[in-house]
Amino acid sequence: MADKITIDVLTLDSVQCAACGYMMESIAALPDDIQDMIQYSEWSIKNKEGIGKFIEMKGKVLPTIAIEGDLVFESIIPQYEELIDEMAKRAPSEEMKNRLMSLRDEGFDFAKIAENLKKAGAGLKTKAG
Amino acid sequence: MAKQKFIDAVRGKRTETAPWVPYAGMHCAFVINEPADKYLQDPQILAKGLVETAKKYKADGIPLIFDLSVEAHSVGCELKWWPDNVPSVTTHPCSDKTPAEAGLQMPTKDSGRWPVIFEAARIAKPQLDELDCGLIGGLCGPLTLASHLAGVRIFTDVIKNKEFAASVCEYAGKVGALSAQFYAEMGCDVIAIIDPVASQIRSATFQEFVTPNVSAAINAIHDAGKTSTFFICGDATKVLKDVCALNTHGFAIDEQLNMNFVRDLAKESGKGFGGNLKLTLALSLGLLSPREDAIVSLAAGGHVGYTFAPG
Repeated sequence: MADKITIDVLTLDSVQCAACGYMMESIAALPDDIQDMIQYSEWSIKNKEGIGKFIEMKGKVLPTIAIEGDLVFESIIPQYEELIDEMAKRAPSEEMKNRLMSLRDEGFDFAKIAENLKKAGAGLKTKAG
Repeated sequence: MAKQKFIDAVRGKRTETAPWVPYAGMHCAFVINEPADKYLQDPQILAKGLVETAKKYKADGIPLIFDLSVEAHSVGCELKWWPDNVPSVTTHPCSDKTPAEAGLQMPTKDSGRWPVIFEAARIAKPQLDELDCGLIGGLCGPLTLASHLAGVRIFTDVIKNKEFAASVCEYAGKVGALSAQFYAEMGCDVIAIIDPVASQIRSATFQEFVTPNVSAAINAIHDAGKTSTFFICGDATKVLKDVCALNTHGFAIDEQLNMNFVRDLAKESGKGFGGNLKLTLALSLGLLSPREDAIVSLAAGGHVGYTFAPG
């Protein structure tokens, strides 16, 4: 069983599109303890990989946040608590679910956004081709 | 090229044919083979790209720039520049304090890149007039600017911390009204309030935080005798009635909406409407035929209040 929760953010391009950018930031601004429990990527439909992912996930609108393969936030930028609740529902273990719920009142942390966005490849694969 | 036809369409009037408005943005830099970061910071190059693009596409109207970081930059947000895209906002001065607590002031014509934009407009406007091409000034809408100022927390605050969210959105609305005055002074014929993230919230949140904070900008546009419109991106279906209830002359949407639904709502509200050409699916990715997409859009849009434009 995977030990991390997989999050896929389907975007037009998180640099050009403000809504896509803040969808990405909603994940990148999760506090450190939660960063340890998740792995996430931006999938821009400006490149073939992103188009493939959009089709594979049966995406309907942009931007969308998918958690463990489920299209959870479609054209709605989530509140912090909504994100935690939806991740907890899909946590691979009771232990992780409880850890997530214990961080429900923590709130976003903006200290490492740039670093986290870079790690997720945000804005780096937005060229057509 | 027909500026008045474009203005009439945004105002919801019948036009002989639909005006054509490419929201060219950074494509103007591509047209003259200049990198985006250089293009956006040099008024001579910006004006050149704008006029060349208007000529190339025989545009009835064109945006002066399409960059929603201008206002944020003018009040102190830092930017990351890209050679092939608009800059990204990288710092959020209101991530833990209100605009007043953060000491944010109102921008002036000398703040940030406003001097570049004023100068570019001064150079380009007479040339566009000569071409009979309307000039669009596009300002950053209140919720998008609030997101730049406070970061993604604003989408939680609009539900959980309304007083804080109201203070940021209200400040953003005042900055937007000032931008509207600037664009009117530059001679823009149509001024667009561009609030892409306003599609990413629920209708009640739109009414509480967007509607009241665009009225000052709309009044500034109308007081200057200009034409107003509201641009929204993404799947805005859930808030489109709220968009129609704004006091603008028109609105524009992107490719994710159903054009017949948009047209009918616009007609009910007496608004001009535009957009919806499949920017990504057809023009960028080539998954649809741009020609067929254009024919479908023109047929659905009709001759009353419709502007033919990318989504």
